Amino acid sequence: MKAWRALTMLLALGALAAPDRMIAAAEGQGRGGMIRIGMDADNTTMDPHRSTAAVDRQVYNNLYGKLVDIDTRFGIVPQLARSWDIKNGGLTYVFKLRRGVTFHDGTDFNAESVKWNFDRMRDPALASPRRSEIAPVKDVKVVDPYTVEVTLSAPFTPFLSVLSDRAGMVVSRDAVEKYKDDFARNPVGTGPFRFVEWVKDDHLTLRRFDGYWEKGLPHLDEVVYRPIPDSSVRFTAMRTGQIDFMHQIHPKDVAAAKTERGLKVSEIPSLWWEAVHLNNQVAPFNVKPLRQAVWYAVDRTVIQRVVYYNQGAPAWSPFPPSMWAQDRDFTDWRRDPAKARAKLTEGGMPKGLSFTIKGWNQPTQVQELQIIQAQLKEIGVDMKIELLEFGKLLADLNSHNFVALRLGWSGRPDPDGNAHAFLHSKGGLNRVRYGNARMDELLDQARSEADQAKRKALYAQVTRLAAEDAPYIWLHHDAEVKVWAEHVKGFEHISDGMIRLKGVWLEKR
Amino acid sequence: MLTFIGRRLLATIPLLFFVSLVVFSFVHVLPGDPAVLFLGEEAMPETLAQFRTRLGFDRPLTAQYAEWLGRALQGDLGRSLRTNQPVAEAILQRLPVTLELLAAALLVSLAIAIPMGIVSAVKRNSGVDLMSTVFALVGFSMPNFWLGLILIYVFALFLRWLPPSGFVPLPADLAENLRSLILPAITLGTALAALVTRQLRSGMLEVLRQDYVRTAQAKGLSQRLVVGKHALKNALIAVVTVVGLQIGGLLGNTIITETLFALPGVGRLMIDAIFSRDFFIVQGVILFLAVGYVLSNLVVDVVYSYLDPRIRLR
Repeated sequence: MKAWRALTMLLALGALAAPDRMIAAAEGQGRGGMIRIGMDADNTTMDPHRSTAAVDRQVYNNLYGKLVDIDTRFGIVPQLARSWDIKNGGLTYVFKLRRGVTFHDGTDFNAESVKWNFDRMRDPALASPRRSEIAPVKDVKVVDPYTVEVTLSAPFTPFLSVLSDRAGMVVSRDAVEKYKDDFARNPVGTGPFRFVEWVKDDHLTLRRFDGYWEKGLPHLDEVVYRPIPDSSVRFTAMRTGQIDFMHQIHPKDVAAAKTERGLKVSEIPSLWWEAVHLNNQVAPFNVKPLRQAVWYAVDRTVIQRVVYYNQGAPAWSPFPPSMWAQDRDFTDWRRDPAKARAKLTEGGMPKGLSFTIKGWNQPTQVQELQIIQAQLKEIGVDMKIELLEFGKLLADLNSHNFVALRLGWSGRPDPDGNAHAFLHSKGGLNRVRYGNARMDELLDQARSEADQAKRKALYAQVTRLAAEDAPYIWLHHDAEVKVWAEHVKGFEHISDGMIRLKGVWLEKR
Repeated sequence: MLTFIGRRLLATIPLLFFVSLVVFSFVHVLPGDPAVLFLGEEAMPETLAQFRTRLGFDRPLTAQYAEWLGRALQGDLGRSLRTNQPVAEAILQRLPVTLELLAAALLVSLAIAIPMGIVSAVKRNSGVDLMSTVFALVGFSMPNFWLGLILIYVFALFLRWLPPSGFVPLPADLAENLRSLILPAITLGTALAALVTRQLRSGMLEVLRQDYVRTAQAKGLSQRLVVGKHALKNALIAVVTVVGLQIGGLLGNTIITETLFALPGVGRLMIDAIFSRDFFIVQGVILFLAVGYVLSNLVVDVVYSYLDPRIRLR
């Protein structure tokens, strides 16, 4: 318990120091101005409690305040909660909230707002996608106007990290009651920028919120998001100065971006993993050695080189290199055709086998599947490729209508979010219907363990067991790449890929 | 003429009924569950069920169709599942973009095709004729997203004359509005220009052989008058037919053009809605496009009677 207090104190101190540093940076620098951000897709809704598209979070992170945030090293840092206490062996979270915070509509942010937001997400009638994320929450109590107590049904160490995303974003109760379903187009939060207008598929505009609680922030006057779906066109818009900041660049364009004058490129590991899902309940992959044969037949380094232009990293587990949970000592993932053939024999298919993989009809993914196809052919496995539209692919995944299927996961800051749902026999995303009692035990233990060193050891065991059972063939961890114009300053690149704008400013040109 | 138009409009009603039925059933037999696409892969089964109940997707299709049609007849096409925006409002908001794009593409294609078609017919087998043949072949066989990318590369990135993406509304800034439409209009209009050039060329060749043309020439009329008035008007009938038929194709191609150039038009509304299974939007847009197609064909019929008074509208 002492360790928790010390940690909390430290974090709170860090938060106090941070704004000063930012103000210092802003003095004498460009204040004001407008930034134009090129996005790969438009927002789908402005209601964080109803959003499922990853792209939505980009705007939300500047419009909504969250209880907590993550920093570059995945540490949890205060935002609307200025500190917290974890009690009862991880069952109770007591959040001390920041005072003097107001919503963009002028209403007060307090403990009632937090409780009402949790209740809204948990209300079955709203059918919120957040509900499963905060499933361990049993009860939310207002202790005093600026203290909230959240009780969980079981210890859940990733809880704070879950609250650093959409589940921790606080929306204005008044606005929701006023606009009802139209809140999706009239968002009101407590973030550094407030909503101005949204012309779908054209632009979404935010403006500086003068009542923002961090003094001196944000620096920018206005933010304009422009969805430009084609990546070549988006990159051209970046090169010609139509936009100042670019989200999602195609791997093939990164080299050109690095040599282009006037552009800055930042490349860090993301939280993603890409994998082949093998249906563990139907032939041929209900036989473990046959799954292992695929595991050893695939050359992940070739995929990284050819498909991803050497960006990102080969994957052998759900934990990317950006995560402390990755087991870097594990090496049994390299291509070994002899071993793969031996596994085929062991699985009763010495002459090889034939199966069909379903994939998304998108160029990068098609290329990746073709490489795997060629690699499997060398051990006598004939893989047919069936390309589908994304909605149909998801439908087939959810109804277990596949032998093999290729799909990725955008990842979560806590390793639990990258593994539990996929590998636990009762996991919500375990569409391959994999089950191993030992795996369940390891994952549950890691989820309730508070000590990171112990969790790391548990996840190392998860990595090895998952490689042994091979329910998924992990292929690649994508790189998280951002491109911006030289006059844009103060951007802090975090692995979750969010473009946080409160500290960003423009150099006078 | 008015009776003709009235009768044609009445005849579209059963057609639209049929379209609505086809659209509705197609949308609902599409694989892919809207609930999963809206609530995410992690959604709990009971949450998914709740969502389907809230939107009535758990009821029999016939009941859903009857309700949708009943409302559509009163002008209510429903609301977007995602943003709750009324479908009609979403379409009307984007309509100016698509209409302007279509008009500009049509203008571009006719501005290229009519002079080229005439000249290559009059100066048959000349260098100009050969050039127009090559243009037609290339223009028609080039995929338009590829043409668009090349135009962007040359005119936006290399020469920096025109913006690579985006749309500036007409009332906001006329000059910028036109600049933002030049590349998309060429991208969309080139294939049609190629087609019309060929049609007009063969139409003109046919007409120029006719007796009345020879008579006109014998009367001593100038070549300009013979070609421009007597021959062209008759050759244009084939062109109008082609253009009328191609309006549908042009509408379909706006999806690609609008996505490539990031224009907020109806085509992009539809493709986004299809991918996210935003049923009411898809249904509304297709119904709307069907009406547009029927009306544009009506216009074609009316233009026929102007070009050739022997064609009676009944």
